Amino acid sequence: MTGAFITGSDQPEKTVIKIGFMPLTDCASLVMASVLGLDEKYGIKLALSREHSWSGMRDRLLRGELDAAHVLYGLLYGVEMGIGCSATPMALLMNLSRNGQALTLSNSLARQGATDLAGLAGLVRKGTRRFTFAHTFPTGNHAMFLSYWLAAGGIDPLRDAQLVTVPPSQMAANLAAGHMDGFCAGEPWSARAVADGGGFMVASSQDIWPDHPGKALGARADFVDANPHACRALVAAVLEAGRWIDESDEHRFAAAEVLASPAWVGADLGAIAARLQGQYEDGMGKRWQDPDPLRFHADGDANFPYLSDGMWFLTQHRRWGLLRAAPDYLAVASRVNRVGLYREAALLAGVAAPSGLLRSSVLIDGKVWNGLDPEAYAASFPIHKLTPAKT
Amino acid sequence: MKSPPQRTLRIVVVNTAPGGGAGEEAQARRNTALRIGLLESGYDIVASLPADIFLPERIAQIQPDMIIIDSESDARDVLEHIVIATRDEPRPIVLFTDDQTASSMDAAIAAGVSAYIVAGLQAERVKPVLDVAMVRFRREQKLLDELSDTRRQLADRKLIERAKGVLMAKNRLSEEEAYQKLRSMAMNKKLKLAELAQRVLDVEDLL
Repeated sequence: MTGAFITGSDQPEKTVIKIGFMPLTDCASLVMASVLGLDEKYGIKLALSREHSWSGMRDRLLRGELDAAHVLYGLLYGVEMGIGCSATPMALLMNLSRNGQALTLSNSLARQGATDLAGLAGLVRKGTRRFTFAHTFPTGNHAMFLSYWLAAGGIDPLRDAQLVTVPPSQMAANLAAGHMDGFCAGEPWSARAVADGGGFMVASSQDIWPDHPGKALGARADFVDANPHACRALVAAVLEAGRWIDESDEHRFAAAEVLASPAWVGADLGAIAARLQGQYEDGMGKRWQDPDPLRFHADGDANFPYLSDGMWFLTQHRRWGLLRAAPDYLAVASRVNRVGLYREAALLAGVAAPSGLLRSSVLIDGKVWNGLDPEAYAASFPIHKLTPAKT
Repeated sequence: MKSPPQRTLRIVVVNTAPGGGAGEEAQARRNTALRIGLLESGYDIVASLPADIFLPERIAQIQPDMIIIDSESDARDVLEHIVIATRDEPRPIVLFTDDQTASSMDAAIAAGVSAYIVAGLQAERVKPVLDVAMVRFRREQKLLDELSDTRRQLADRKLIERAKGVLMAKNRLSEEEAYQKLRSMAMNKKLKLAELAQRVLDVEDLL
């Protein structure tokens, strides 16, 4: 089935595709697509490039030094809308993973009674000092989840706290040193903070939004427009890799062994493998097998580029004043999320795709996000920094 | 009109975080070459800051005109925070890399970003790069000055209109006659029209 289409008009426009990734557990499907040779099955070759920072990766993507990247979903939309950089038309080819990020607080906070969101809120209300929380990028997933979680507890992230950006690999050290009170980031750095004894996991990202979108496979819009066959092959290969990883704990462990190498994530195998297999320990004596851990496929549902996912990030950018005017939410998501190309790739890889473009979720504060009336949703939060829409 | 005095650019250099490894060593070398180049070119390095969690706070306190950081530094994202927080008053952030195939600065300027990627970091190459960054920085300053000039002109115009109105009412003059009276008095007293207008209004307030 697979060899037949790579001839004639379906042939990939370019065979070597340069893809940037950050050393995080959730780059696994991209790495395994290369390691398992799934790229060559679809007539392409992945040239994976380990990046140092999200902004550096973004710049290389915009300059054409990278064709595509393992990128924060929120960051991609931030570039589309020109937040902190020149607005550039971007394309989201697929969602790479769901769940599996974490919120970690310092043990010192726990000793002061902040062992959950309510406890933290109580501590903040006492007003003895301002608390500092870190995320990985101002427009990215972790910044939005952290802000959402704090606000859900009645804490204004912009007034009652100070948010800072810290590289993921430096989170654990900064927490242990007392430079910050907590952070939201991906793995294995959150597990590291707990293992190092500097902090405890107060919530997982799936606690905030069950089955939330994670990293996306992003590219410049003009690259996708010029290379649709190559992009389709890329998505198909990564879909197969994600499906392989999700198949069993053995596959997950094998992926962890690959990721542990310094060429990829370069972290302790234990730190990577445990939470990848859903085995959590929170640093406060609790251990459990999570029913909704990091997933790369979930029978395709984790990969579908739902328009409502993209729009959620737009609403949160709007909510916190990163977008000063209301965007045309549906139009932006419709042009960024390449649903048509995804469906073709899913067909190639034998992956089922939902028929709808929106999905409905209930988040930690009980609010429903279903993709409908996004500006009203953005304006519906008691804690926000919205600039009102001009009349 | 006299142009405002050119003051030296206040530059902050961000140092790579210590940690060892080939990447960090290369960054440290680039940073040293950069600082030598800056000093040789006569720039004012106000501070050399570590790339740690306190960087945004320190930069907020120092308020430099320009921030220079290695493009391979993982502290780039920390700076991103500052970029967004200060997007109404952007300052040039200059990025340095050894990458010889880096895109031209023209592309960066055309894209409207205040960040430049430069190939190579030999001391003698530092000055031309910063010259371009400074040109752009000054162009932005000029635009801001023009903006404040325009605002002042608008304010002056309003003063003159009000002074005309006072003369027209008090001395039963037509608009043209009032304007001519203001003009000739300004010339006689060697005052700017707006200054005289202000005096007319001040007297009007007194009486």
